[in-house]
Amino acid sequence: MLRRDGSICARRAVVLAALVACAPAFAAPLSVTVFKRDGTPLPGAVVSAEAESPSLPPAAPVHGVMDQVDLTFVPDVLVIPVHSTVQFPNSDPISHQVYSFSSARSFQLPLYRGKPYPPVSFDQPGIVTLGCNIHDNMLSYIIVTAAPFFGRTDKNGEWIAADLPNGRYRLRIWHPLLNEPQDLERVIEAGAARTPIQFRLAKGLKAAPLKGRPHSWDY
Amino acid sequence: MGLLTNKSALLAGALALSAAANAAEWQLALDLRAVSSDGRESFLDDGQGKLRYDADHEGIQLGRLRAALDQPLGEVFSAHVEASMWDLDDKNPIDLTEAYLEYRPYPRAGLRTRVRLGAFYPPLSLENRARGWETPYTITPSAISSWIGEEIRTIGIEGQVEWLGTRTGHDFDLQLTAALFGWNDPAGTMLSAHGFAFHDRQTTLFGRVGAPQSDPALAKKELFHEIDHRPGYYVGAQARYLDRAVLEVLHYDNRGDPRVAAPAIRDFAWDTVFDAAALRIETANEWTVLLQALDGRTVIVPFTWLTWEYESQSALLARRFGAHLVAARYDRFAVEFNGDPHAAGSEDGHAWSLAYSYEPDDHWRFALEWLRVRSEVPARAEWLGEAALAVESKLELSARYAFGGRF
Repeated sequence: MLRRDGSICARRAVVLAALVACAPAFAAPLSVTVFKRDGTPLPGAVVSAEAESPSLPPAAPVHGVMDQVDLTFVPDVLVIPVHSTVQFPNSDPISHQVYSFSSARSFQLPLYRGKPYPPVSFDQPGIVTLGCNIHDNMLSYIIVTAAPFFGRTDKNGEWIAADLPNGRYRLRIWHPLLNEPQDLERVIEAGAARTPIQFRLAKGLKAAPLKGRPHSWDY
Repeated sequence: MGLLTNKSALLAGALALSAAANAAEWQLALDLRAVSSDGRESFLDDGQGKLRYDADHEGIQLGRLRAALDQPLGEVFSAHVEASMWDLDDKNPIDLTEAYLEYRPYPRAGLRTRVRLGAFYPPLSLENRARGWETPYTITPSAISSWIGEEIRTIGIEGQVEWLGTRTGHDFDLQLTAALFGWNDPAGTMLSAHGFAFHDRQTTLFGRVGAPQSDPALAKKELFHEIDHRPGYYVGAQARYLDRAVLEVLHYDNRGDPRVAAPAIRDFAWDTVFDAAALRIETANEWTVLLQALDGRTVIVPFTWLTWEYESQSALLARRFGAHLVAARYDRFAVEFNGDPHAAGSEDGHAWSLAYSYEPDDHWRFALEWLRVRSEVPARAEWLGEAALAVESKLELSARYAFGGRF
């Protein structure tokens, strides 16, 4: 139904006014798919859609959780709207010491187990790289975004913005294994006709972290 | 050097703060072995055999009883103590292998510093990466790691600066290390007496290697002593590519004054210098390649200059299948005394190891290892009346149970 309505709308859009007429009432899904350089889908990529025109406020802040389980941060990537807070529980039987020296948010949580600290707030958009000062193999990211719409691609490399109002958006792609620099930004007009957007990486991915080695190693 | 007066005082000072508040984490591990060996009389009994367990030490043996304690001291300091029992006949049945205070501040702007004060291993551990400075690949480490565990320990201070490139969007981390140390003047004693060996027995800080004997030159040795009151140093560098490859180099010089004797322990200040390099590559499908090389010399001047040059290389290939690990290693080693290959004190040899290990959980590890060492040691003929050439092999089963907690 939506597609047919959109087509009708597009046909009428001979004059610019048609777009304006359609815009306020119209919100439709937009599909973004990310492919690796070899053409296979890239799951887990972060996609954000920043509204350039009309401008929209960031998504509502959330209370996120970045857990530590089995000497690993869970999840490997957490995407949160700006002004969100994140709790860093340690579910391991051993202590961790979480830090970030990223410019978007630098902080440190002295050696702890359990959940002794209040949540950390993230008030500036950017990429926050997390580490544990005791276990150097632990690595994770918090992506703080001012975009009203964002998400991660599924196993088919696809993310769908369910209710994206008409307008001009800046799409950005990020993945922890990206080899940068790479041009993964695109400005799109989300109007009546919404053709699926596709990104394809120009470079191969970095080697993924090794997993599952016994805990007695790397002491 | 005024600092180099008392090893125990330095260790006690480094650990004195451990009374502080944060909960300590402890671990105990018992490693029992079943051994079948045709080894010559072991170097541990002042023989010229290359193995820890010789033909007289077959059957059920104590591999290691290990106790470890990690005590955080406030936010960025911690104390680490490793104590082990290797053999009930040792001078101290339980003794320390490492004891140090660590300062590990949070990284800033991608840089992290780390300082260790006390007794610990220099960064030569791409193979011995597991708890208690053990190798996870085999039971018996390479000739190089065996020798480091036998004769080398940093008793002093070490500083590290690390550039955490992988935390700032790069593919590499880089690390520079420098240390000043004392109490390692006897390093070289064992290498000159029996050459390289293959064993996992780490010499304890107050313990000895070897058995009592009538010939003082061969008698048991205490290895961590300050003799010439000149500090030694090492400098090293490490580069990591993601978590896949590590390259490590180290230059070690104990700056021994080889003319200084220590009659009380029947030893000299050996002037021991070596360079070491290691490369470890791990792949996504769980293969590990580990290459190690060490090249050095040691000198004493009891009446004339006596020099031993030594070198060893090893190559290990391992494949992990979940909790199972299969490894094969080749070692080559040689010691040359005063340039005369036929003189006692020289040797030449190589070794093959095959190992399978199974580490189902955090508590248990089972390992089976076959090791065969072929060595030509003229001293066997000159001192012991044995054939100079020996082929020694052993089959060893290890069962280790570890548990821990905090208080």
